[in-house]
Amino acid sequence: MTLHRRTLLALPFLVLARPALAADRAEVSREVLLMWHRLILELVRHTATYVPPVAARAFAYIGITAHEALATGNPRLVSLAGQVNGLTGVPARTESDLDAPCVLHAALQVAVRELFANTGPTGQRAMEAMGRRMGERAGAGIGAGVMERSVAHGQAVARHILAWSREDGGAVIENMGFPMEYTPGTRPQDWVPTNLIRLQQAPLLPQWATCRPFAIPTADACDAPPPPAYDEAAGSEFHSHALEVYETARGLTDEQKLIARFWSDDPMLTPTPAGHWIAIVLQIAERDALPVELVSSTLAKLGVAQADAFISCWSTKFRYNLLRPVTYIRRHIDPSWEPLLITPPFPEYTSGHSTQSGAASTVLAAMLGEDFAFDDETHVDEGLPVRRFPSFAAAAEEAAISRLYGGIHFRFGNEAGLAQGRQVGAYAAALRTEA
Amino acid sequence: MMRALVLLALASPALAEPVVPVFTEETAVSGLATSFEGDWEYMVGGGVAAFDCSGDGKPELFLSGGAGTSALYLNRSPVGGALAFERTGALEMEAVLGAYPLDVDSDGEMDLVILRLGENRVMRGLGDCRFDPADWGFDGGDAWSTAFAAIWERGQDWPTLAIGNYVDRKEEAFPWGSCTDNWLHRPEGRGFAPPIPLTPSFCALSMIFTDWNRSGQWALRVSNDREYYKGGQEQMWHLEPGAAPRLYSEQEGWKRLRIWGMGIAAADVNRDGYQDYFLTSMADNKLQFLKDPASGLPDYADLAFKSGVTAHRPYTGGDFKPSTAWHPQFADVNNDGWLDLFVAKGNVAKMPDFAALDPNNLLLGRPDGTFVEAGDRAGVASMGIARGAQVVDLNLDGLLDLVVVNRWEPAQVWRQTGASGGNWVQVRLEQDGVNRDAIGAVVEIRRGEVVERHEVVSGGGHASGGMGWLHFGLGAETAAEMRVIWPDGGAGDWLELPEGTFQILRPDGEPMGWAPG
Repeated sequence: MTLHRRTLLALPFLVLARPALAADRAEVSREVLLMWHRLILELVRHTATYVPPVAARAFAYIGITAHEALATGNPRLVSLAGQVNGLTGVPARTESDLDAPCVLHAALQVAVRELFANTGPTGQRAMEAMGRRMGERAGAGIGAGVMERSVAHGQAVARHILAWSREDGGAVIENMGFPMEYTPGTRPQDWVPTNLIRLQQAPLLPQWATCRPFAIPTADACDAPPPPAYDEAAGSEFHSHALEVYETARGLTDEQKLIARFWSDDPMLTPTPAGHWIAIVLQIAERDALPVELVSSTLAKLGVAQADAFISCWSTKFRYNLLRPVTYIRRHIDPSWEPLLITPPFPEYTSGHSTQSGAASTVLAAMLGEDFAFDDETHVDEGLPVRRFPSFAAAAEEAAISRLYGGIHFRFGNEAGLAQGRQVGAYAAALRTEA
Repeated sequence: MMRALVLLALASPALAEPVVPVFTEETAVSGLATSFEGDWEYMVGGGVAAFDCSGDGKPELFLSGGAGTSALYLNRSPVGGALAFERTGALEMEAVLGAYPLDVDSDGEMDLVILRLGENRVMRGLGDCRFDPADWGFDGGDAWSTAFAAIWERGQDWPTLAIGNYVDRKEEAFPWGSCTDNWLHRPEGRGFAPPIPLTPSFCALSMIFTDWNRSGQWALRVSNDREYYKGGQEQMWHLEPGAAPRLYSEQEGWKRLRIWGMGIAAADVNRDGYQDYFLTSMADNKLQFLKDPASGLPDYADLAFKSGVTAHRPYTGGDFKPSTAWHPQFADVNNDGWLDLFVAKGNVAKMPDFAALDPNNLLLGRPDGTFVEAGDRAGVASMGIARGAQVVDLNLDGLLDLVVVNRWEPAQVWRQTGASGGNWVQVRLEQDGVNRDAIGAVVEIRRGEVVERHEVVSGGGHASGGMGWLHFGLGAETAAEMRVIWPDGGAGDWLELPEGTFQILRPDGEPMGWAPG
């Protein structure tokens, strides 16, 4: 990616002729947007119910909230109302002199408070601190009347989005997403629990596919084809796939181990897989000083793509209910085998990481370019090095293969997931955010 | 007659379930009236120290008060009678998170290490439960101190203190990843050298010295709260005399484990001669057994599920969200000869994804290695927001009692009032010179064909510690077959200690019987 390429892509926003004050205010809006998202990435990690599908849902609603807050005052932006499922027109501005950073800050504050209402005392404290800081930043030099009206409008936009969010079937998560009761399947290929954590003896969020999607028409609109026929015989296609996982794990290089850990994105220890892609956008936005409108519309579409990817993927997962490699390998190849990564507590097919990475990369390529090279420093704080990618597609492919290296997915689960995600991402990419 | 019946029943192979002890809460009449107060900076901590400073053998209680005032309570309980405490004016201070008794200067008077928000303090015992700030060069620092452990390193006449610290409390919007350094206070003359940072530190909430591999070289285990660290995990440090502390590595067999680590309890649960570790967390808790002692690798299997001690959600009270566990402690509360496990439970603070009504656990050990919940049947299933605790014989009747510190509510105390499920013996270690209470000793008790090892430590739990009588249930046995491996490595003789007695054990003499009252 070159500066020239970025500039071209950002052109619809940059051609707006702004007076100096407007440009300054746009910079404040950008700061507000990025800082709130920086906090959100932490809140996702530190709110116990924010397992990957739930986190992706929150990113979608927050991204849409920010985009709509800005769109109500910017004729170059197009509302997503009427484009995403069930969203009706957001409250229009009744005043002309509203301040965009104040509108945006107020909208984000209300949305984050509700979506992360269950976070712990430290998260609550952090939200309050961020609210104070960004409120002061956005409101500096703004008249009291303008600020008051701007805040009221931003809050009204957020409340409209939140009211819509409460009806999607995913608003209430209990028992950290695990059903209190679960009857496992009886077929030999059925998923069974893969760890000794008592809470995880049932699969995560088996009903998630019943949530209302955002851009795809139905949860099964982008379903994957069936996995290879289950077979325990040595030499069968299925057995060969399991053997590939087993032998890959035995011969892992340091680079492959690093890739597995880099994309592991475990809930409650990282911002989750969806947050990883949000973090990539934030890093690019800061590095390239992308205009706030481009950042917000990218985050909105990215959030939609990833949320829909999980809904679509979960629909597939519980349709096929396929066992994990660790179960098959221990039963039929090596009873003492241990994968590199901890196997997630839900069925294998298709790979969630692959699906949401396929969706994310499709949206980001549409927004920022097919050959957009970038550095990914999401896990520097965790002691993992920066990784460089020539394109979003390349990053998604690495995320997918990382699950094979980690020993938690078959190759076919990754490949089908990527394809499924790309289909989902195309729906999100087709959303119109600019006039 | 009742006791005889219980013992007869124990001898019967048909009895599969352990005897459920009966506890009676005596908080209201006990004289204890200290709550652990405060907001965000007091969401962790809330410890209690149990130790005898009056010389009558009965443990006094020091209760942390958080943003309120801590208090030392003298134990006025009659032997075998109702629990009674008298508040003193000693050790009243604010910002106390926890405390551990330790005779630092080996003068025979118990001192107290006090963990605080801000400067930690070491209080020197003067006798008769009087204390003064110690002048031992101890640098109390300025942190959010939440964990403690002590050991006398080989060849030293002064203890080494490990202190665990939590989040940088000045960070508001982005406190995550701001864990501050833990400290190792090593000796320097008759005092402490400037603390050595135990870098990296990952927001420790419990620490314990343990001879995990029976090498005689004690290591420091640290349980860390994953809520706040980045790139962190559970830790174990090499602590070799004269050498800088060094972390156990993956190459040495240490396996990465990331939990909301809040408390450590160590005991030889499976009677293989090696310490097992119960680690408290949120939702599932961990019970770690050394996979292969012969390998020399610190590689542990988590058998909490198999053993029935995940204690992951409330078992009574109608709230079935995941639990939040703090102070764990192994002890034989029903005297049947099998270790039981107490776990203090309580929501961090208005976390709606976790149980608000979160009863403490009393998990009774069974001969097959599993545990059964009995907190409600035993009468200790309090819904208070618990933090620290001590399972300790407060009235010296051989039956273990219980004190629990609660957030925003007064500490609770229970007396065990039912019939004993078996016999017991209590011992106190005593040696001349340094380290009079023999921290770092191991008490071995023969249980049929096997030997159970009990490490004598100062540390672990959650901000709570005790020093004094070591209690052993004996079941139907009328004597304990026991010996002590003293901190210098010297093994004492095997002793026959009659049930129902208190015994003072010394390296160089016969056991000395002691009687309360």
